[in-house]
This record gives sequence, C-alpha cells and structure tokens, in this order.
Amino acid sequence: MSLWLCPEVFFVLAGVGLILTDCLSSSGGRRALGPLAVGLALALFFWTAFTSGRPLPASWGNLLVTDGLSAMFKPFFAICLVAVTLMSARYQLGSDEAVRGELLALPFFPTAGLCLLASARDFLAVFVALELVSISLYLLTAFHRAKPASLEAGIKLLVMGGLSTGFLIMGIAWLYAAAGTTEFSRLLLEQAGKPASPALLAAAGLILTGLAFKVAAVPFHAWAPDVYEGAPTPITAFLAVASKAAGFVLLLRIFGFGAFALESIGQVFRPVILTLGIATVTLGTLAALPQRDLKRLLAYSGIAHAGYMLLALGTLGEAGLATVVAYLWAYLLATLPTLIFLNELERIHGSTDMRHLDGLARRDPGPALGLTLCLLSMAGLPPLVGFSVKLAVITTLWNAGETPALVIAVVMAVAALGFYLSPIKAMYWEREPDSIPAKRFPIFLVWIVLLAGLANLFLGLYPRPLVRLAERSLAPHPASFSIPQK
Amino acid sequence: MNHNILLPALLLIPLIGVVLIALGAPAKKTATLASLLNLIPGFLLSGTVLRSGEVLFGPEATPVREVFPVNFLLGIDGLSLPLVWLTLIVTLAAMGVAPKGIKREKEFFICLLMVGLGALGAFLSIDLFYFFSFHEVALIPTFLLIGIWGHGDRSGAAWRMTLYLMLGSLVLLVGLIGLVMSVPEVARTLDWRVLTETLKTNPLAPGTQGTLAVLLLIGFGTLVSLVPLHSWAPGGYASAPTPAAMLHAGVLKKFGLYGLLRLALPLIPMGWKEISWLIGVMLAGNILYLGLASLQQRDFRWLLGFSSAMHMGTVFLGLIGGTVLGVGGALVLMVGHGFSAALGFAVAGEVGQRTGTTWMQDLGGLAKRAPKLWFYLMVATMASIGLPGLANFAGEILIFFGAWSSHPILVVVAAWGVVLSAVAMLRAIRVIAYGPPSKAVENAETPDLIGWPQIWPFALLAALLFLIGLVPAVILGPARPVLERLVSP
Repeated sequence: MSLWLCPEVFFVLAGVGLILTDCLSSSGGRRALGPLAVGLALALFFWTAFTSGRPLPASWGNLLVTDGLSAMFKPFFAICLVAVTLMSARYQLGSDEAVRGELLALPFFPTAGLCLLASARDFLAVFVALELVSISLYLLTAFHRAKPASLEAGIKLLVMGGLSTGFLIMGIAWLYAAAGTTEFSRLLLEQAGKPASPALLAAAGLILTGLAFKVAAVPFHAWAPDVYEGAPTPITAFLAVASKAAGFVLLLRIFGFGAFALESIGQVFRPVILTLGIATVTLGTLAALPQRDLKRLLAYSGIAHAGYMLLALGTLGEAGLATVVAYLWAYLLATLPTLIFLNELERIHGSTDMRHLDGLARRDPGPALGLTLCLLSMAGLPPLVGFSVKLAVITTLWNAGETPALVIAVVMAVAALGFYLSPIKAMYWEREPDSIPAKRFPIFLVWIVLLAGLANLFLGLYPRPLVRLAERSLAPHPASFSIPQK
Repeated sequence: MNHNILLPALLLIPLIGVVLIALGAPAKKTATLASLLNLIPGFLLSGTVLRSGEVLFGPEATPVREVFPVNFLLGIDGLSLPLVWLTLIVTLAAMGVAPKGIKREKEFFICLLMVGLGALGAFLSIDLFYFFSFHEVALIPTFLLIGIWGHGDRSGAAWRMTLYLMLGSLVLLVGLIGLVMSVPEVARTLDWRVLTETLKTNPLAPGTQGTLAVLLLIGFGTLVSLVPLHSWAPGGYASAPTPAAMLHAGVLKKFGLYGLLRLALPLIPMGWKEISWLIGVMLAGNILYLGLASLQQRDFRWLLGFSSAMHMGTVFLGLIGGTVLGVGGALVLMVGHGFSAALGFAVAGEVGQRTGTTWMQDLGGLAKRAPKLWFYLMVATMASIGLPGLANFAGEILIFFGAWSSHPILVVVAAWGVVLSAVAMLRAIRVIAYGPPSKAVENAETPDLIGWPQIWPFALLAALLFLIGLVPAVILGPARPVLERLVSP
C-alpha cells in the first residue's frame, strides 16, 4: 500500500487540490494560492528526493521501473517545478490579469508526467507520459490569452508537438510490427546479436526524430525560440530545462543503455546522432549571436547545449552517457536561476530586451554578479561547473576519436563567448539608462540568483558531487539520496 | 610553523582583499595592503624552497582511478619561485600605480586583484585542471578592465583579446586532454609531476608527440602572442588601463611560457624537437616582423605593446635551444621582461595621465621637466634593449650562448632583433625626452612624480631590474636543479 505514496501520485493530487482550492475559495483565499503552491512544490521536492529510489506499485511493473536514472532525475524535475511555481507566484501578483490558479496548478501535472517518463520501460508508457506532459504544456504556453505572442507560441507548440508525437507513435507502431514488442528489455534481449531489420531501423529513426523535436535539436528546433519568447517565463523555464532534460533522459534510456542499445542499431545511429549534434551546436551558437532578447538568446543557447549533449550521447559509450547526466545538472544550475532572474526583469521592465540590463551592476551588484556567474558557466569558462562538463564532452570526443565533432565543439565554445559576454558587457560597462524603474529586485530572489551563481563556482572547483551523481544515475539500482528500503 | 599552509595563503590573501573591497573597504588601500601582505608568505616560502627545493600543499594523488581525478594540489619549486615573485611584485607595483580617484574604483581594484590571483594560482597549481582554470580566471576581469577603463578603441580591443585568448585556451585545453589521454589508463593523472615521471620512463609514440606539440604550441603560442597569433597583443595592451597592461604583459603572458617550460619540454621532448623548425619560423617572425612593425609606431603605448610581443621570440629561442643555459636564460628573460614591460607601461601611463597624450610627436623635452620620470623611462627602455647590467641582458646573453650550438642562424636573427629594438626605443627616447618641451609637456601642471608615495612602485621595479641584471644567480640558483631535470633526456 505504501508503494502508492510515490511522488507521481502526489504531484497529480497536489495539482487537483490546487485547482479545487482556487475554485472554492474567496478572492482573499486565492491570494494565498501562490505561497501554497510553492510550499507544496517544495514539500514534494523533498518527498521526491527521499522516495524516488523506492520501487513503484507492482501493478505498474510492466510499464515502469525504478533504477538509478529515474531515481536521480525525479528530484531534478521536482526542482524545476519549485522554480516554476516560484516564478508563477511572482508573475500573477504583478500581472493585470485576474489571478488565475491554473498557472500555479497546471505545472504539477507535467511534472508527474516527466517523473513517469523517467521511469518508463516500455514505449507505451513513454507515449502516455509524454502526452500528459505535452497537453499540459500546450495549455500553459498559451496561458496569456490576451497576448498574441503567447497564443502564437501555444499554436506553434501544439502543431510542432503534435507532429513530433506523430513521428513517435509512428515509430512505435513500426517497432511493434518489426519486433513484436514495445518493452525495452525484451527488445534488447530478443534483438541482441541479430542484424537489424530495415523496419527496426526505420522505427528507431522515427523515434529519434520525435525525441529530437523535444530536445530542440537541429533541424527540428525551429519552434523553440518563438515558443520560449512567447510563453510566460515560468513556462519557458519548464520547457527549457525540465522538458529538454526529459528528452535526454529518454534518449539515454533508449539509445544509451535500453531498447536500442544494440550493436546493429548503434552502428547506424552513432554517426546520425553525432551529425545532429554538430548541426545543433553550430546553428544554436551562430543564431544566438545576433539575439537581443534574452529569452530568445537563452532559447538558442539551450539549442547549443542540446548539441553538446547530443555529441556526448552520440559516442554511445559509458563516459558519454555519464557526461550527458552531468551536463544536464550543470545546465539546470546555470539556466534556471537565469530564467528566475529574467522573470523578475520582465516584471519590472515589461520585456526581456538586453537593454534593460544596461548599468545593472551599479544599481544592483548582487543579481548582476549571480547572473554573470551563471552566464559564464553556460559559456563554459573555468572554474565554473559549465567548464567541467564541457571538458567532459571534449574528453569524450577525443577518446572516441571524433575529430570533426571535437573541432566544431571547440570553435563553437569560443564563438559562444560572443553572446554570453554581451549581457555581461551591458551590465558592467554600458551607461545607465536615464530613467530607472522604481521597482527593485526582491531580496530573496537576489539571494537565490547569487547563491545559484556561487553553486556554479563551487561545483566547478569541486566537481566530485557531480561525478558521483552521474555514476549513480547510470547504476542499474537506485542507490541515490533515497532512504534505505525495508 | 607549517609552511604548507603558506601556499594557499598566497591565494587567500588577495581573495580576502576582494571580499573586503566588495563589502566596502577603501579600494586602493585594501588592494595595496593585500598585495603587500602577500609578500610575507612569499618570503617565508622562498626560504623553505631554498632549503628543501620544493613545497607542496594538498591531497596526494589518490591511487584509486577516478572518473574525474582532480586534486587541489599546490606546489612551488625553484622554477615557479621567480615567477611567483614576479607576480607578487608586479601586482604590488600595479596597485601603487593605479590612479586613486578612478571611476568605479571598487570594481577596478577587484578586477586587478583577480588578474593577479589567476596568475598566482596558475604558477602554483600542480593539477592540470587548476593550472588551466586559474589562468582563465583572469580572462573576464581583463575583458572588463579594458572595456570599462581602457582608452582608444577599448571595446574592440577587449573583444578581440578575449576571443583570441579563449580560442588559444581551448586549443590548449584540447592539447592537454590529448596529453593526459595518451597516457595508458593505469597511469592517467592530472598531476604534472607524476605525468613527467611516467612519460620519462615510457615516452609517447613520436607521431602522438608531434600532434600534441603542435596543439600545445598553438595554444600556448596564442597566449604568448607568437607570430602569427599575436594580433591581439599590441592593441590590447595599448588600450588597457595602465595597471592592467602591467599585469597582463608583465605577468599573465608568462603563463604560456611557463606552461611550455613545464609541460612541452619534459613531457613531449621528441614532438618538441620535431616542430622546432616551425617554432623557429614563428619566432623569427616575432623578432623581425614585430621588430620592424615597432619601428613604425607613433604612440608610445603601441610601441611598448609591439616590443613586448617581440621579446617573446627571444624567449622561445631559449626554449628550443634545449640546453640548461638556454632554458635558464629564457627564465631570466621571462622575469626580466616582466619587470621591464611593467615599468614601461607604468611610465607610459604616468606620462599619458600627466600630459594627456602618449602620442610621441606631441611629447618632447620630458627630461628637463620631469627628470624622475625620465630616469625610469630610461631604465625601462634600456632594459628592453638589453643593456648590460639590467635583467634582460642577462637573459638574452644566456639564451644566445645556449642556443648557438643548435640554432646558430636564429641566434643571428635574434641579435638583429636587439638592434631593431634599440633603434625603436632610442628613437622613442629622443622624441619623448629631448628637444624643446612640447605643448603637452609644457602645459602639464605636475609633469613629474612627487614624493615617495608616487615613486615607490617605479623604484621597486627598477631596483629588481638592476638586481637580476647584476646577480642573475638569484633566479638561476634555485632554478638550476629543476631546469637540469627538465632538460636532461
């Protein structure tokens, strides 16, 4: 019975609870909804961290599994949820629209979906969980009904997401036709040693395409900048971090060590994934250079990061998989605080244009320093954590002997400095604008951004915790932060 | 007293200075005091190094194979000692020269302290991860220093310099990764002492050594501004605010040379020999091309930038000579050049601040109106030319002797470099110091240094130039055993 107390169930219950509270309470009660949602998300984060290593209810056994990867990534998604609710809670107080609880309640559902996704051991479970995530996100992206940009973003995500789901389900159908099963481990067992049939290869290709949409890999990236820009910033954070990470968790599980971790498929798909990676890094970096809107800039930077992770994944070795895991955490640590900051910037100035940063270092040195550290970490400068993970990517590529990918990765890391340094330049050496808005950054957000920046620094100087985390994620059994099993 | 603790103290004192300034302590005073206090661990460590040859701090390499085997390991020996001293002294002098009422004083001194900290950390690190990281720590403060407080085309110079150095660093990083990864897995480590031992007994295949040597040469060569990877340097130094130019040209640039000395020479000797022709071509380019270019400069800062990049060629000659004499000369020249470049930029900055220009034609007659500044100008330029009695001469002559047997032609080229640099510098002195006083000099309210608070940074640098020039053994004595180990096959 106690097995039903798993985080996924609580996420759904919390979401439903919040919607009911919103419906049933008076307008005064609604004002308490923000703190309530943040509190729930925090409590659920701790619950997830402690219980994510426990086995799931037996009746789910055919579809879901608890292993190192799922145990370590459920807390990852829960952290994203905490950040998103935190940002949404601020968002509503500042916006003109009537306080609506859905923006706070809805993110709990895709979080449940992501947690299920991290546990999936069958393509059907993947599909169902992914739909739970996608549909909630379509709603949330178009949440600002009065803003055309938000609606446009919602439609784009709906169409592109629908298309990618189409690829995925088509792939699953082909897979079932070719192999007679959709379960990862049976597939692995039955197909081991055999040459891959064309139908199986086609299935793998279609599934890869579907997932490439989710992680915004080139050439399936075009939706990302518009959607990130148009969506409410908390939802941008969810899309940029949680959703992208989920795509990589699936790629790890499917191509890394599950379902398609077959010699015959790897031979074909290794160059494909590497090529995707090269294209993604290059386009993401070059397209980010002229961006002046910080959300768009982050969208392209996120595409470039996806490219680095694809490069590491593409080597299909153990080191590459561990690198992806470490990279995802480093990405979270640098990107989430940046988006929390942007959310605040948007609240104060009404947009996230880079000129709002002009002279910020003199007005507000705290958040400026935190943001600088986060941006430099994304740029991959030592001694920040972003450097350690880029180092791991380059090392992996060197060991795999992938010279072209290595050269591209290095050149693009330098070019990326061009756009990561522009906001820093704006903050530190541009003149202050004549009129400074009266609103200031609230002190607790200053501390969050600053502490996150320092965490980037600490993990860069002392990367051992991250290495442990990556090792545990790839272990077949959950060892994790979980409490011991009776 | 446990002297191991002194190593991290060298890094902690500037860091505490940074924190204090950020919290509101008076910027210039705190920064100067931190740099001054840092001399104490420097002194104490020197004593220990002279007695026992080496001081270490940090965890010993763990025998268990780690996925990411970084260890925060610091160490100092006879080779890094002179460079640590170079950093300490130049940082102190830079703080002394830094103008007090500069705009956004707090951030200015924080950036300066960070640059010094990065250089110190790089010279002290034994683990390659930190060796590389500490150097990069200085990159962003330099970007800001040039961008915010620079002159001329500061924005362009800052971007060019940062992107250039980043590209060089990443090529270097690939080279370092390649180096570590070519070692068999059981012996793989980031500790360069262990790497040196391993590779001495089991050298890498010549082909691998060649590839790695090229990568390291391009990487370190960019950081050192070897032709044709030099174009960031003259403009960057000309645009940088005085203390930043002093620290970067004087100290940080030596990181590349130090890296080559520490890694390329002992770890991949065959690869290094294999590409010595390439290095020969590049360093001849440095000496001749940059030497000729420096003849054409009209701005004193640009002249110093070119001449500073030009001398790197001579240091390289010492490095490929492959003799203890030549390598020792390279070390002396590195330190000597550090002091002379710092003094040169300090004088240029002072002249620029007092007269409002460093455009040489607008100056003139400085000797009469500002005799003290003239004296330090003479010391800096004479040291740069290689006048006997000053540090650079000691280095150059040792390099020429050391490299003669293997590279006689390059020695002749380098000797021509001395002539070129003499022509450029003497012309500069003639224009700046002599003749009738120009309008700028005439109109300057206080053209000269007044009192010890202004003079001491200059006197300090000049004194060290004389000390090393007259007694090069202060550097070569402790360094000799280390250099012998590096060079011996």
